[in-house]
Amino acid sequence: MSENSVEKEIISIASDVSGFDPEEITLETNFYKDLEVDSIKAIEITVAIEKKFKISVRDEDVPNITTVSQAVELVTKLLKEKGTNG
Amino acid sequence: MGEYDKKPYDAVIIGAGIGGLICGCYLAKSGLKVLIAEQHYKPGGYCTSFKRQGFTFDAAPHCFGSYREGGVMRKILKDLEVDKKLTIIRPDPSDILITPDYKISFWNDLEKTINELQAVFPEEGNKIKNFFYLLIDSDPNSFSRMRNLTFKELLDQYFTNDKLKAILSFPFFGIGGLPSFLISAFMGAKLFSEFLLDGGYYPEGGMQVLSDALAERFKEFGGELRLSSLVKKIRVRDNKVTGIVIENDGFVPSRYVISNCDARQTFFKLLGRKKVGKEFYEKIKNMIPSMSTFISYLGMDEYFKPFQNPGTTLYFSSHYNLDKAYQAMHAGDIEGYGGYALRISHDKSTIYAGIPAPYKNKRYWINNKHKFLESLIDRIEKYTIPNFSKHIIYKEAATPYTLYRYTLNYRGASFGWAGIPSQFAVPNLRKPSFIQGLYLAGHWTTLGVGISGTAYVGYDTAKMLLRKEKI
Repeated sequence: MSENSVEKEIISIASDVSGFDPEEITLETNFYKDLEVDSIKAIEITVAIEKKFKISVRDEDVPNITTVSQAVELVTKLLKEKGTNG
Repeated sequence: MGEYDKKPYDAVIIGAGIGGLICGCYLAKSGLKVLIAEQHYKPGGYCTSFKRQGFTFDAAPHCFGSYREGGVMRKILKDLEVDKKLTIIRPDPSDILITPDYKISFWNDLEKTINELQAVFPEEGNKIKNFFYLLIDSDPNSFSRMRNLTFKELLDQYFTNDKLKAILSFPFFGIGGLPSFLISAFMGAKLFSEFLLDGGYYPEGGMQVLSDALAERFKEFGGELRLSSLVKKIRVRDNKVTGIVIENDGFVPSRYVISNCDARQTFFKLLGRKKVGKEFYEKIKNMIPSMSTFISYLGMDEYFKPFQNPGTTLYFSSHYNLDKAYQAMHAGDIEGYGGYALRISHDKSTIYAGIPAPYKNKRYWINNKHKFLESLIDRIEKYTIPNFSKHIIYKEAATPYTLYRYTLNYRGASFGWAGIPSQFAVPNLRKPSFIQGLYLAGHWTTLGVGISGTAYVGYDTAKMLLRKEKI
């Protein structure tokens, strides 16, 4: 999956969970500040990303995902690792 | 439709439970044209009260949580100015956990609770404080880390004393219908903080007063509430909602539909298999609902003088074996389960006692209701309030079947889906991607249970919809 389509999927997840239109969400969007994501929505987004991409996000990585671009970077990395491992 | 205004609604909400009422209030307040259709003749869903022989009984929930400064209930009731219509009282302690060796009080002052627990379990020291602050703190990251854990695993990370862990686990049977080794850490943390650390708030006059105040506010904002109106269908065209069909009332057009009722009803009955798609249909079919509850309502004579704090919820357990309690709960074995939750009303005129119970079927409860009730009364007399039964002048009970009958919650489930990690934050349960304009609210979304949990989902659903409307 290309980084571009990962970005599209993550924006779609962020839009579904937050209610903001996909057009309002960019790579720079901060989940907490711009999309008013709270503790429940943070989990919704994490779980949705894990289910969509069939990956598992490490607990220590969770605090590092605050923007869409960080989420795209992490998912791309995890997808690559998954590809290499099997 | 007849006399009704034929202009389509902006939003119709199915079910006047707490989630539906709060969602409706926010939408109507923002100027949308909103209808709430409720099958029962009074608003509130589980959050209702009823009167018998001069006594007022709360039907299911008997208090709410999260009303501290910054708590979600305080925010919502303030936003909607419903707080002005209510007098909210809180007993101190709000809750007490009682086991054969311990009596642990949850005081309004969290530090006092922590200090007392530390005195009882000195070897756990600061871990008690750290644990409670983790629960009450809403840092998204610490909660996110809990998504795959059970509450037991979380307890194991903090504590070594098995009795302490069992004591802190037992209330989950009553407030989540699950043992700590099954309930998700996230759900457990929410329940623990909202029911125990910041719980016990009570609208003077009964829980119905809260639902009625929200319903009244909804109407003041211009919303329309139709009671005794059973919704039969959600109409969809080209994968987009067009409205609902109300029994005896016909088609009601609307741009958005928010289902605050049971999820299986929503997907299987109101929408139907064709609209839902095979994969999602099968997924919902295989999901596990939460336990139901057997509730006794006791009216007491004027000579009843309990020494227990009125208003305080007591969680009693006669043993520490969670596995045994779990098996017994499913079997409907009161003795083996060993516990109950009990609350004497603020005016000492009534007692509410509940135990988690399996749904079984209508026939089972016709045959066993009386036996259950008497057995529960016997146990309360034996363990908590000696010689109290002679003061009972009215007794009634709600079985899981009763709860189903009044609210149509699948199998009388008290908390929507069972709060296990694999059923947490299930995609498409809040806003199904395959049908535009449809939202779900309430405890079947897997994100919030109890009054404050469903209140949050109702509020958040309104916010999501208003963002879409750019309001």
